[in-house]
Amino acid sequence: MKTLLINTLLAISLFASAPLLAQDKPLRVGMSGQYFPFTFVEQDELKGFEVDVMNALGKEMGRDIQYETANFSGLFGMLQSGRIDTVANQITITDERKKAYIFSDPYVYDGAQVVTKEGNTEVRGVEDLKGKTVAVNLGSNFEALLEELPYADQITIKTYESNLERDTALGRVDAFVMDRVSASQIIKEKPLPLELAGPTFSQITNAYPFHDTEAGRALRDEVNKALETLRDNGTLASISEKWFGTDITQP
Amino acid sequence: MDVLNVEYMLGLVPVLLRYLPLTLQLAGIGMVLALFLACLFAVVRVLRIPVLNQLTIVFISFFRGTPLLVQLFLFYYGLPQLFSALTVIDGVTATVMGLTMHFSAYMAESIRAAIVGVDRSQTEAALSIGMTNGQLMRRIVLPQATRVALPTLMNYFIDMIKATSLAFTLGVTELMGATQKEAAGSFLYFEAFIVAAIMYWIVVELLSKLQNYLETRLNKAYNR
Repeated sequence: MKTLLINTLLAISLFASAPLLAQDKPLRVGMSGQYFPFTFVEQDELKGFEVDVMNALGKEMGRDIQYETANFSGLFGMLQSGRIDTVANQITITDERKKAYIFSDPYVYDGAQVVTKEGNTEVRGVEDLKGKTVAVNLGSNFEALLEELPYADQITIKTYESNLERDTALGRVDAFVMDRVSASQIIKEKPLPLELAGPTFSQITNAYPFHDTEAGRALRDEVNKALETLRDNGTLASISEKWFGTDITQP
Repeated sequence: MDVLNVEYMLGLVPVLLRYLPLTLQLAGIGMVLALFLACLFAVVRVLRIPVLNQLTIVFISFFRGTPLLVQLFLFYYGLPQLFSALTVIDGVTATVMGLTMHFSAYMAESIRAAIVGVDRSQTEAALSIGMTNGQLMRRIVLPQATRVALPTLMNYFIDMIKATSLAFTLGVTELMGATQKEAAGSFLYFEAFIVAAIMYWIVVELLSKLQNYLETRLNKAYNR
């Protein structure tokens, strides 16, 4: 009992100490850790395309990278409240997000893809989503893309924190919408009966969001410079080849 | 149906076990603080201390009347928006704060009920032999109230352990957060989450054993 109390007091005093502000502090990067193959965990090790790119950027900038994982719905809150410097989770550049944040140069070019359970003959593309229930990740840009469709009012959108692939495979929803790259990867690597339905229906560009402050702009410029170097020396392309067998970092 | 991947499950056990201490810490610290707060609230309510009593009623009403997840978001994401200095509240702190306030609101009511439930004749008897108010509380009322309150307090502790699974929304990788990330990497959801479920279950079972032991001890005086 006594040690527990001492621990409690220790913990409280630890919590009270504010983080130090230093020039060369690590870049704090938020990611969900739940977006295969961009960011995921295997045997307690954070892996994926995002992790590789970020590590390469960190090396180029001479900065340590400090990863913070949280549910996707919490990531922008962490960014907004200044607990992380940026988010590396395939963040698509949108007008709405541009109002609140500034973006680095895009490092992934992709399209939105409809995915159904294997053998689904009804939904063969985005135009077949009328009257269907479609899963998207909560807070992701795909919900907005669906709502832009002319028949959006006939689509029932279900938002998920995670596991939407599983629910689609189980038939609880008719389809899910995700970026083509990770959708193909899921189908290839994971034991779920899923298939791509039709071509992609919207071009998306993904980048790192930063605070629209002096410090945020400085960080963004630093990241942009490193991105350019990695693009020119082929590092970005080879990381992409490693995970996707194709270069998704070029338009 | 796919065959259960037992090998994966066994491999996951040592990995997830690393995150169990944090889960227990969150709940343990939360419980100690919540108990402390709840006792204060209960005393304020029983003695009807002016002003404090009204404040306590509002506090309990708010923290019992809103979901824990909403409170966690308020502490972690909401407050720093109003006061940027509050960014120093990290995920662990915000979780402990949320758990403490949320559960102290519930526990205050069950402690208050236990105190009020001690028969009036006990109080009268104690006062008649010249005990002070402090002695009355320490020697007569609280020991009896503890016995009554214990089962419900243990209930709240068990609930609190499970409520720590919300912490990953604040970026705290505890048992549930670690499980979610592992499941996202392997797509073996059933395997990952059943391992986590069994871990929570075992912890709660051990606590139930502790509760039985404590109850037997506290009931000694009542056994003939």
